[in-house]
Amino acid sequence: MSKNNNCMSVLTNGIIKENPVFILILGTCPTLATTNNVVGAFGMGIAALAVLFCSNILISLLRHIIPDSVRIPCYIVIIAGFVTIVQMLVQAFFPELYKMLGVYLALITVNCIILGRAEMFASKNSVIRSGLDGLGMGIGFTLALTAMATIREVFGSASFAGISIPFLENYKIEFLVKAPGGMLVYGLLIALVYALTHGKAPMKKSFSCATCPSAAYCNTAACKKEEEGDK
Amino acid sequence: MFKTLIVILLSSVFVNNYVLSRFLGICPFLGVSKKLNQAVGMGVSVTAVMLLATAVTWPIQYLILDRLGLGYMQSIVFILVIAALVQMLETVIKKFSPALHAGLGVYLPLITTNCAVLGVAINNITDGYNFLESMVSSLGCGLGFLLAMVLFSGLRSRIDESEVPGPFKGLAVTLIAASFISLAFMGLAGIVDTIFK
Amino acid sequence: MIKSVKSTFVLVSICAVIAVMLALTNYITAPIIIKNENAAANDALLEVLPDGGDFEKLDISTFTLPSTVTDAYSAKNGGYVFKLTTTGYSSGFVIMCGINADGTVSGAKCLSSTETLGFEKTYGKELVGKNSESIETVDTISGATKTTAAYRSAVKDALNSAIILGGGSVDIRTEEEILLDNLSSALPSAEGKFSKLFITEVLEGIDAVYTADNGMGSVCVVGEDFIGVDSEINVISDVSAEMAENISSQLKNLFASKATEISIADYDGLPSALLSASKTESGNYILDLKGAGYGINGGNEYHPASGEYIYICVSMTKDGKIIDCLTVSEEETDGIGSVCADEKFYGQFVGKTEENYGDIDAISGATITTDGYKTAILRAFQSVKILEGGQG
Repeated sequence: MSKNNNCMSVLTNGIIKENPVFILILGTCPTLATTNNVVGAFGMGIAALAVLFCSNILISLLRHIIPDSVRIPCYIVIIAGFVTIVQMLVQAFFPELYKMLGVYLALITVNCIILGRAEMFASKNSVIRSGLDGLGMGIGFTLALTAMATIREVFGSASFAGISIPFLENYKIEFLVKAPGGMLVYGLLIALVYALTHGKAPMKKSFSCATCPSAAYCNTAACKKEEEGDK
Repeated sequence: MFKTLIVILLSSVFVNNYVLSRFLGICPFLGVSKKLNQAVGMGVSVTAVMLLATAVTWPIQYLILDRLGLGYMQSIVFILVIAALVQMLETVIKKFSPALHAGLGVYLPLITTNCAVLGVAINNITDGYNFLESMVSSLGCGLGFLLAMVLFSGLRSRIDESEVPGPFKGLAVTLIAASFISLAFMGLAGIVDTIFK
Repeated sequence: MIKSVKSTFVLVSICAVIAVMLALTNYITAPIIIKNENAAANDALLEVLPDGGDFEKLDISTFTLPSTVTDAYSAKNGGYVFKLTTTGYSSGFVIMCGINADGTVSGAKCLSSTETLGFEKTYGKELVGKNSESIETVDTISGATKTTAAYRSAVKDALNSAIILGGGSVDIRTEEEILLDNLSSALPSAEGKFSKLFITEVLEGIDAVYTADNGMGSVCVVGEDFIGVDSEINVISDVSAEMAENISSQLKNLFASKATEISIADYDGLPSALLSASKTESGNYILDLKGAGYGINGGNEYHPASGEYIYICVSMTKDGKIIDCLTVSEEETDGIGSVCADEKFYGQFVGKTEENYGDIDAISGATITTDGYKTAILRAFQSVKILEGGQG
């Protein structure tokens, strides 16, 4: 029972408590770039979910085989492999979505959520837990992206998933679907999450190397200085 | 010819700025832009790596992958090549110029997973640029990144000194400030085409 | 050492496994991706030929098609779709045009256009249902005459191409080629080399005279007919004796016409645009003029600024009617102002007087050049008045 509970919490962890977009602040590039319409954002979320789930499982399976010294290149190869597979599948079965996402689909490879979870979770946990973690994080990512895209699309282009909303037609804030609008909405949502959780959940520290998943392994002077400075 | 190159350069610096209008390389933009010297160091490193990565990935794509019909291996080959290049660059700089390494070396490992670098390598292929155009576009993207970093570091030092309402502290206000810079850059859209018409 | 070998081995194995996975996925998805892309291309073709069904791309290099045709597709229902690239006055645009099996337009759509008029979205609809003859009856849109005419002629090229691909034959020669053919058949001994004669005498019923470059005679254009004349000025084409007599006497008169130079310095008030003038025995004037081209003070006044002049030769009766007009040389912008060296432009002045010379069609996109040219023609009328003793 307690183990089941534990697994459940691994799954839900990524959705709410450690939501990668609003709490961990990871994967900012796709979050900003693909949320100007709901379809693209949802597709991006599902694509990332698939990659995250598969790579987490494979990396967890191989966690005793991969030598420590080459683990990062190994993770990168595995992740890039799954990204390419997803990319080909999307191109074959959802050509419209493929056009919409463009280069950002290929850039899931360098999405820090995925490498971050590989490094921080999958390499240290069992296959089942890693799979659930990937699923949870992926769902959290998808939900966050879709939520943000809903705000931007509804108010920015007066439509939802391409279906136009007539009564908002005359009150469009077109700025929201453009680049600056993405940053503004993201900033406001982060402030909102901070306010709702009374500052408990989101980063007490300002955004820096400390929240970067690479910080665990990059070990550079920049990160160290940063961390020391924050203390 | 020359005109095309100038248009590519200017539009990748100002109009299609990677950070401010295409959202590539947001992590270092928000993370390492606290101080001016850090911003410059990161910007210069990214520019150098972008140029180097394009110089290597462009021939790989056209001379190896396309000829063997392995176009689908693009992402995986590019990211590995970039990772290896960054590692090599760091080793070489460390050996030959410790001073430069102290300045720039620390930013290099962070660049491997910088989506702007992989992004520029892939975009140069998708846009069908020739080698020279690709190099110019990489230079433009790098300089655009540097410009955004430097401008933003100035803004951030002001934000740090001001009193920000509770929930907006930290990342929220940083993003909103970035939004305004992006808005300013949006005003430049179309200007390059008009100048060279 | 062993450690690093093991590391390398693991990394290489992972790479190999991933590569195999990718190859497999690619093997499955590649045909679907190609099919999707073809379907998307097919949809674009279906848009202009809705009953087309499936399309097959044709190798157009095996046919002699008009040069506007860049791609051709044959449809299952016997129709065709053509991709056409026109050259407008400033820049070209790309048109997809569908032709039904019965040789009528099924649809035309402008894909790209830098022309800003916006008509190209609707003009294609007006051409639907027309065949290669009835298309001529569709009016061009005023305000966009040149571009709509280019659109219409591109669609006509598509209609002609459909006839050619269907095994028929169509005259796709250019106007120059047709003219040369007509001239050569009227006077074969000229070996296909003719020059248009600058006419200095009033001719009745003869529209133009072309002389053979090798001196073997000349050809008169009378309405639709081309009448050959040998070097002795005897009509060799099959025409009525009366007509032959009329033509040869007029030509003899024309060829015998002599002009003497007038000293223009002796006259006061002649415009500076007049460079030299001659008078024929029959009292007609031949004037050499310069017109202000683009770059010379807006084209309207003669100004010793930089920029190039347009040199024009005009022959005129003493009562001020233009007999012939010719652009001798110009340095205007290629493809825009340089149209003033086109016979279609300067030929418009033939037969005009001071009252109606302004009615000619301006050169699209080159108002300044046109104005400069017209001003030079006005100076010609004024010069003749002064030379005849009146006031300019």
